[in-house]
Amino acid sequence: MPEKRIVITGVGVIASNGIGKEEFWQSLREGKTGIKKITAFDTTQFKVHTAGEVKDFNPEIFLDSKGLKDLDRTTQILCSGVSLALKDSKLEISERNTRRIGVVTATTLSLLYNFTEFIKDSEKNGPRFVNPSLFPGITINFPSSQVGIRFHIKGFNTTVSTGFTASLDALKYAVDFIKFNRADIVIVAGVEALLFQSFLGYYSLGFLAGLKGEEISCPFDKRHNGIVMGEGAGVLVIESEISAGKRNAYIYGEVGGFGNYFDAYRASKYDPRAQGLKNSMSRAVKASRIKIKDIGYISSAANSVPLQDRLEAAAIRDVFGKYSSLIPVSSIKSMVGETMSAAGMLQIISSLQMLHKGFIPPAVNCLEPDKDCYLNLPGNKPMDKKIKNFLINNYGPGGNNASVVIKAYN
Amino acid sequence: MKDSGRVVVTGLGVVSSVGIGREDFWDSICRGKSGISQIRSFDTSNLKCHRGGEVKNFKAGDFIDRRKVKYLGKTSQFALSASILAFEDAGLKKKQIQGENTGVFIGTTMGGKPMEDLLFTWVREKQNTIDKIRLSQVLANNISNNIGIYFGINGMNYLFPTACAAGNYAIGYGYDMIRTGKLERAVTGGADAFFYIGFIGFQSLYAMAPQKCQPFDKNRKGMMLGEGAGILILERLDVAKKRNARIYAEIKGYGLSCDAYHPTAPEIFGVTKTMENALEYSGISYKDIDYISAHGTGTLINDKIECRAIKNILKERYKKVPVSSLKSMLGHPMGAASALEAIACCLTVKHGIIPPTINYKTPDPECDIDCVPNHPRRQPVKIALNNGFGFGGNNSSLVIGRFDN
Repeated sequence: MPEKRIVITGVGVIASNGIGKEEFWQSLREGKTGIKKITAFDTTQFKVHTAGEVKDFNPEIFLDSKGLKDLDRTTQILCSGVSLALKDSKLEISERNTRRIGVVTATTLSLLYNFTEFIKDSEKNGPRFVNPSLFPGITINFPSSQVGIRFHIKGFNTTVSTGFTASLDALKYAVDFIKFNRADIVIVAGVEALLFQSFLGYYSLGFLAGLKGEEISCPFDKRHNGIVMGEGAGVLVIESEISAGKRNAYIYGEVGGFGNYFDAYRASKYDPRAQGLKNSMSRAVKASRIKIKDIGYISSAANSVPLQDRLEAAAIRDVFGKYSSLIPVSSIKSMVGETMSAAGMLQIISSLQMLHKGFIPPAVNCLEPDKDCYLNLPGNKPMDKKIKNFLINNYGPGGNNASVVIKAYN
Repeated sequence: MKDSGRVVVTGLGVVSSVGIGREDFWDSICRGKSGISQIRSFDTSNLKCHRGGEVKNFKAGDFIDRRKVKYLGKTSQFALSASILAFEDAGLKKKQIQGENTGVFIGTTMGGKPMEDLLFTWVREKQNTIDKIRLSQVLANNISNNIGIYFGINGMNYLFPTACAAGNYAIGYGYDMIRTGKLERAVTGGADAFFYIGFIGFQSLYAMAPQKCQPFDKNRKGMMLGEGAGILILERLDVAKKRNARIYAEIKGYGLSCDAYHPTAPEIFGVTKTMENALEYSGISYKDIDYISAHGTGTLINDKIECRAIKNILKERYKKVPVSSLKSMLGHPMGAASALEAIACCLTVKHGIIPPTINYKTPDPECDIDCVPNHPRRQPVKIALNNGFGFGGNNSSLVIGRFDN
């Protein structure tokens, strides 16, 4: 029996440079950045002041206002993204189909906010008098559960917390669930909010740009000196080709093959050989039953940390050989910042427009490439190019590496 | 079915309040020994509840290189130690595990005590920096990553934070990956160490019993918190046979569902549907069920809803099939709960002994199942169902079968 084909039929995005797919895509085309001064919390006592923060975000536009103000920002952003994606896919959820629809959410740090609020409440009122309604929020799967409750999705509800690769890991899980006939349709989301706690964490570890050098996100550029944080949600509706056909859904593209590999190297350190990233890229291509030369664009996970950018550049050169000078590679993190568990979803959504509109977004801030990052880096203007297959990379210092190929549907 | 499509359990590793290691654990739960005691690892004077299923006599240094221990949070220490025990139990050497044919799938709730300590420090002292060692322990995904790094496992590495059902989610996906040929072997299960906020939180929901956990009893007063880790080594049957491995049980399938109803309360349709799904995906009938390891937290609402759902599933057989709750002995070890219960199910099908629900005195007409009160029962079990439900209405049910060649 031929394997089920899995297609993308809905897109929802809340990003710092655009809310909704049209605005997001337009911004990427124009090279418009969402990285601006942080307003979510006070940064005066820090050396870092900017991030890809979602501004002018009003969840009431997307969601029923009942209980809305009690939800933390992560959950609001996630539910709003899901609302956009469901609308985009024209999927009606009813008692008839809800048991065949599932939710998979990628998030890792989101619980920090609710956890802190709960601790504050306990410190203020005493541990015996905390507000019980704050408690469920301390679990990492709280935002995903809210999606289930708000949109009445009853098939299953899973959260994946693998850090920087969580989006692609969640997508793989979702695709598997459709292939194994555990669901017909899955809502896959990646979300991470700009939280003071995660800011402090990155800051204390010395990962942020601005601690030394310019405060700028410029993957592969020789000025790269650290992460600029970001936030957002990327949501896809995926389903089997048959299910999409039955409901006559618009198809954005097809999910090709996955590759993943765990670098069992050292805790919180990149394997200097980048073996995992090489393996995950080549396996994703192979699993898609295409050749490396068929990849038209690589959406990189480079986040402006010199070591990370260089490792990925070297891995791409290694895997793609002579083609590496032909295939355009860029990272949207120069415009949206590092969104961790949401990054992969935003990368996929940014790339989907290329299948439709036939251009590659400009590589903002990449003016003078680091000589160790030699790749086919697009210039500062959008490049017109028809693309059939693109490769998305995700990797992180924890050791996880994941890649996926997204194909034009025919 | 071909051997390459079948998944068996060949190693069990336990860190629990009733014993460390498979043998101690099994011996204790078969004797109905309670792991609930006065809590010693942190100060409970500000809490209403001072008891829980605390892991005693555990020294991470007995299992893990002492220099590495300080980089691991307690949950990670539990998970890694249980994994070491499980591989030993499976008779697998590091060399056999390494590479990309093995995967890691772990469930937990929130990442562990280091994060809580860190946030407490920030809130209390308004401190804006932290030491890097502590930060390296904070993220939940470190728990699965540490296992991968320790053994040199290059296959898929997943962390599922699906609340109190997390263990089953992890075992389930590991099973799927082996069954479909993606992996030969997987380290699966769940882990959670005590955290203070858990006590405050469940206390605020009035969900906690003061003294003991009495699932299905008319006078049950709630849950008790527990901690620990349960790790199951899953292997493809042909791979296990080739190396003459001891086989405890076969994973037959699992089902998930979501209540989409309430952040904390369970709902009957969702719970029923979970078990139905589990049966459907395992290709078995309700008539084949010989034992159910209940989620059985000991709260008024959970036990009532679960018993009703079990009635829906078992129909005319509902009084004939034993249903017991390990949480009467372990308390509720959160992310480790369904994994420890799955381990017990594997041993139940292997040895034909059903662990009891202890602390049972007064029957509750709303829970009139056969809860194997207070004493273990010797009875052959071919098929066991392992229920795990979590916050957010995330339900899971795993089907564990006796291994027949």
